[in-house]
Amino acid sequence: MASKGQLNDEHGRSDSYRVATVPSSYDDHKTADGQPKARRKVTKKQRKAGDLDDLKQELDIDYHKITPEELYQRFQTHPENGLSHAKAKENLERDGPNALTPPKTTPEWVKFCKNLFGGFALLLWIGAILCFIAYGIQASTVEEPADDNLFLGIVLAAVVIVTGIFSYYQESKSSKIMESFKNMVPQFATVLREGEKLTLRAEDLVLGDVVEVKFGDRIPADIRIIESRGFKVDNSSLTGESEPQSRSPEFTHENPLETKNLAFFSTNAVEGTAKGVVISCGDNTVMGRIAGLASGLDTGETPIAKEIHHFIHLITGVAVFLGVTFFIIAFILGYHWLDAVIFLIGIIVANVPEGLLATVTVCLTLTAKRMASKNCLVKNLEAVETLGSTSTICSDKTGTLTQNRMTVAHMWFDNQIIEADTTEDQSGVQYDRTSPGFKALSRIATLCNRAEFKPGQESVPILKREVNGDASEAALLKCMELALGDVMSIRKKNKKICEVPFNSTNKYQVSIHENEDPNDPRHILVMKGAPERILERCSTIFICGKEKVLDEEMKEAFNNAYLELGGLGERVLGFCDMMLPSDKYPIGYKFNSDDPNFPLDGLRFVGLMSMIDPPRAAVPDAVAKCRSAGIKVIMVTGDHPITAKAIAKSVGIISEGNETVEDIAQRLNIPVSEVNPREAKAAVVHGSDLRDLAQDQLDEILRYHTEIVFARTSPQQKLIIVEGCQRMGAIVAVTGDGVNDSPALKKADIGVAMGIAGSDVSKQAADMILLDDNFASIVTGVEEGRLIFDNLKKSIAYTLTSNIPEISPFLAFILCDIPLPLGTVTILCIDLGTDMVPAISLAYEAPESDIMKRQPRDPYRDNLVNRRLISMAYGQIGMIQAAAGFFVYFVIMAENGFLPMKLFGIRKHWDSKAINDLSDSYGQEWTYKDRKTLEYTCHTAFFVSIVVVQWADLIICKTRRNSIVHQGMRNWALNFGIVFETALACFLSYTPGMDKGLRMFPLKFVWWLPAIPFMLSIFIYDEVRRFYLRRNPGGWLEQETYY
Amino acid sequence: MPNTKKNKQQPHSRAMSKQDELLAEQTRYFLNINKKISKTEALKQFIWNPETKAFMGRTGSSWSKIGLFYLIFYGMLAAMVAICMWVFFQTLNPRIPKWQLERSIIGTNPGLGFRPLPRNSTESALIWFQGSNKKNYQPWVDSLLEFLDGYYFPSKIAKGSGQIKTCSYSDFPNEDEVCEVDVREWGRCNKDEFFDYHRSSPCIFLKLNRIYGWKPDYYLYDHELPPEMPKQLKDHIRSINNTQDRKNIWVSCEGEMPSDKEYIGSITYYPNNFQGFPGYYFPYLNKEGYLSPLVAVRFERPVPGIVINVECRAWAKNIKYSRMDRTGSVHFELLID
Repeated sequence: MASKGQLNDEHGRSDSYRVATVPSSYDDHKTADGQPKARRKVTKKQRKAGDLDDLKQELDIDYHKITPEELYQRFQTHPENGLSHAKAKENLERDGPNALTPPKTTPEWVKFCKNLFGGFALLLWIGAILCFIAYGIQASTVEEPADDNLFLGIVLAAVVIVTGIFSYYQESKSSKIMESFKNMVPQFATVLREGEKLTLRAEDLVLGDVVEVKFGDRIPADIRIIESRGFKVDNSSLTGESEPQSRSPEFTHENPLETKNLAFFSTNAVEGTAKGVVISCGDNTVMGRIAGLASGLDTGETPIAKEIHHFIHLITGVAVFLGVTFFIIAFILGYHWLDAVIFLIGIIVANVPEGLLATVTVCLTLTAKRMASKNCLVKNLEAVETLGSTSTICSDKTGTLTQNRMTVAHMWFDNQIIEADTTEDQSGVQYDRTSPGFKALSRIATLCNRAEFKPGQESVPILKREVNGDASEAALLKCMELALGDVMSIRKKNKKICEVPFNSTNKYQVSIHENEDPNDPRHILVMKGAPERILERCSTIFICGKEKVLDEEMKEAFNNAYLELGGLGERVLGFCDMMLPSDKYPIGYKFNSDDPNFPLDGLRFVGLMSMIDPPRAAVPDAVAKCRSAGIKVIMVTGDHPITAKAIAKSVGIISEGNETVEDIAQRLNIPVSEVNPREAKAAVVHGSDLRDLAQDQLDEILRYHTEIVFARTSPQQKLIIVEGCQRMGAIVAVTGDGVNDSPALKKADIGVAMGIAGSDVSKQAADMILLDDNFASIVTGVEEGRLIFDNLKKSIAYTLTSNIPEISPFLAFILCDIPLPLGTVTILCIDLGTDMVPAISLAYEAPESDIMKRQPRDPYRDNLVNRRLISMAYGQIGMIQAAAGFFVYFVIMAENGFLPMKLFGIRKHWDSKAINDLSDSYGQEWTYKDRKTLEYTCHTAFFVSIVVVQWADLIICKTRRNSIVHQGMRNWALNFGIVFETALACFLSYTPGMDKGLRMFPLKFVWWLPAIPFMLSIFIYDEVRRFYLRRNPGGWLEQETYY
Repeated sequence: MPNTKKNKQQPHSRAMSKQDELLAEQTRYFLNINKKISKTEALKQFIWNPETKAFMGRTGSSWSKIGLFYLIFYGMLAAMVAICMWVFFQTLNPRIPKWQLERSIIGTNPGLGFRPLPRNSTESALIWFQGSNKKNYQPWVDSLLEFLDGYYFPSKIAKGSGQIKTCSYSDFPNEDEVCEVDVREWGRCNKDEFFDYHRSSPCIFLKLNRIYGWKPDYYLYDHELPPEMPKQLKDHIRSINNTQDRKNIWVSCEGEMPSDKEYIGSITYYPNNFQGFPGYYFPYLNKEGYLSPLVAVRFERPVPGIVINVECRAWAKNIKYSRMDRTGSVHFELLID
């Protein structure tokens, strides 16, 4: 019976706040009337450090404790007349509008500059500046300076500016999508000022205003209730509890969040009307403080941003190292310093994959678009990938895993438990609706019910209609509407004569109705309430159409049913009725509800109905998919542990057969303290326990339990849990819809908000929004995220490979004194021309077969660019490519007369303008111009050979493990990429005038061919390598080459 | 029923154990972070980790394995390049270039070359010496001597079958013969007179770039002579009456700018009888012992102390001239102190 007590304890559900509320005398920098005490003096750092403390100390106000008179005094207001206009104006000027401060945005020009000078851009700027300096010096010393350097400098600067503008454009485009969420519908409030009732915009409310709210309104500010009539508020967006709570002028609790006489900004009034005095506005409201905490949280970099920075550091390091090394070598070899500077530029240009950042942006944008089409809206482009690397999902229960709609799940009548249909589309079980037991039960549920559908929803499916009234009554109403049809007409036929509404002392609700059968003059008394209270009032029980005496056996049956339903985490209601004898209570009898003059004992027990907020249909499958993808799913909810555990079990967060410590204790019949916690894979942690846990104890729970449910948690505890997971090295995704989730959403590596049910604050804090509120979309998101990470890896592997054939010509030029095999302009043609489309096309590559079956990536070891990728790209494939390029170079040189041996050491004479008769291996003598034509032809051929070997590179980069035969060539973007790069190479080589502009010369057809054997060998080598990888998983080759 | 349940559960439990592994991995990392080490220490540990005996993050066996792998890999790559090169060289003839004339990039438009070349810098074409200082002009003379060695002692280079023959306009060389270049025709530009450098009237030797198989198209008739040809050369050509003897590639040197023309003074060309390269030296076919015909240009009294830009041009119908590209011409500077 213990669970029963917990389940039905009215105050039980508000535990979360009591738990989180650490009463303290902490100074919140506020004066008595809620004004910030010299906030300006608090430095930024102090404020940041104070944030968490700020949260922990919760609310420290006394508006709910003081008498109304003192309250009016303090705000110089009046309950009937309200504030004076002058005072209101003064307050408004002092406090500013009653609205949440929007989160700080980075100024546009800062964003632009970041794009213009971040990443590789800085390195390229250095290159460009060096070019200008070199040109400047040449121009001042030589009469006819070669404009090479000027040209290159301009090209580099243009490249940086164009890619900068491009990324800025992409970024601003995605942020524009978010703007649409900010435009909320303006709210209005009814205010009393100088005795006049005014309708004002909610922003214009000030402290001390007397406002009137009625059901359906959103509370415009934090108010102290001074008058109420059946007033109930839905605090779910603040506390995560779906049950409406009544509010009245009485001071009932020390804790401001518990007391009945306060209603909070942005919560909804669901029933009744009330009048109240505004006690805090805007950012000082409870909601505002949570939102402020969320926006103040330091979120850190996204994993992909970290990866890209890591990658940029790596590449920059290599570029600077090589550049400086060869700068020094060039000096030692006796080059002029200006030459050395030019080498430096060349090495920088060759090392930096100029087009890569643009490629990454495009890849992310493509994926973001694809995800948007699958109802995942990504606010921050980089968050696209984060979901893929997620290793832990902390999910809110209400509204995310569940439908956020109380639904009748079970009924107990005729001594058996009947399962009701809880699915969203009514595809579940059906039950017999003709038995007398059901008829009796349904009559009570229909009549003893004050909930009504809001008008104008005839076309909406019954389960989705909005209802005025309590959540459990709404559940009953919907259940009955489904079972019986038009509930309202039934109620009309059985006119309500008298009613005693539910209250916490009686714990029942009773009403008396006329009988719809005109031949039966008896009144019907129907009652529902807490099952044990109902049972106490009954003497008989209705079983299979017969009224039986309620004996011990029946009570036992009742208890079993009640325990079973309670154990499912469902809220159980008992139902009983009585036909009032017509002689004692004739038609027209005056029933008195205040002082019941009708029987409330000796009733006939009919049955139980239990309700739950059922899980969404797609959730169990999605959870299983996350599991198999190695993602730990943790439930973090403000709801009751039993309910939470039941939902966790039904969606698979606690998988079948896994036990908690308590379960083991129960099974072995030993105290909980004797169970070794390591034996239990599952754990249900109560918020009150969590509060007492030290940090390492929490770590232990997170480490040793694979299936965890946190119940009764407050927003700050959610935050603590997320931080705990992050301390464990996990990349954490948090899903949630309420304001109470928003700090956790913000702190998480990726926050996922619900698009339909989610509050604006949660959407603002989140990185991603599920437009259809479907948890299953997360699985899609994970898959897309992993895919983009894989594809970026492939794309980078592809792009980096061509760096080796780009750098090696420079090295050979300096070290071997051969004419330059590949020029800087041609390098740019590769990086920004032929390599771009194929690299982007890899974003369209289909996933490999194991994408959702492998573990999430390890953020410490499995980097975007790791040693293995570099080893593959630079050490192996790149080397083959460089060999191809040099082979083509030597072929063309030899075919035109310069045999390879002749070339070594020829550089000085080759590049000398004064020498007009350089002799080749056949004794022919070359003018400077002809030599240069030959050299540029070699550049073109080297370039073309890189294009040819990149065909093979592109195809091998399609897969990391699978064979290309398995993967297929169905990626048409990629196939187009191959055609495109070839066409571009032809265009650059054969277009007349290119010799002047880019110094690209037409090639003989046969000069395309020498690269072919190398292309084939790349293809064959990698196919063999991957065959071996598949054959020997985890082997040496995999450790060294599987990127 | 229980059977299917078991099957259903299996992938679950497998996934779980994998998750445990990952968790253990993360935990290990987490524990490692706790022992925070300073950057220099981390670097030291990276270079040499005494615990694992790892150098630069790899143990000895790891290094040898990866080393062996790359040794084999690069060995194979080198072998492949070698094979490709070998196959490619089979298609080449060591004496005849694969692509010739317009099919080759060298094209059909020869330039001119001059000697002596400055020794200290490859970038400049400045011939700068003091006629009065032997030490100063001797390097230039030595440079010329080195270049002309083959001309003075043709037997040194004419190994094998190549035979030297005294050619004339009617007597062309056979396949195995090369034409002689007569050093005696260079007048005062001979080695015994230090090519006249000591008198500050230096001899510069000009030669036409060799292009395999290239044949000149001569200006045979007076009316064909291009208008931009210097008058001196025109007169010279007109003075040769026999069209057969006009089968020469003519050479002329002039100051580049009007001022240079002033300072340059009078010029003498050797051989005396024709100012250019006789046609019987062409085409160049890479024969053993072939010597390019030379024209010695003697600047008799160039103005001292001033850099004089000199441009020499070769004249034939199929030699196109461009000052920018230095085709059909050569540029050098004279500075005599």
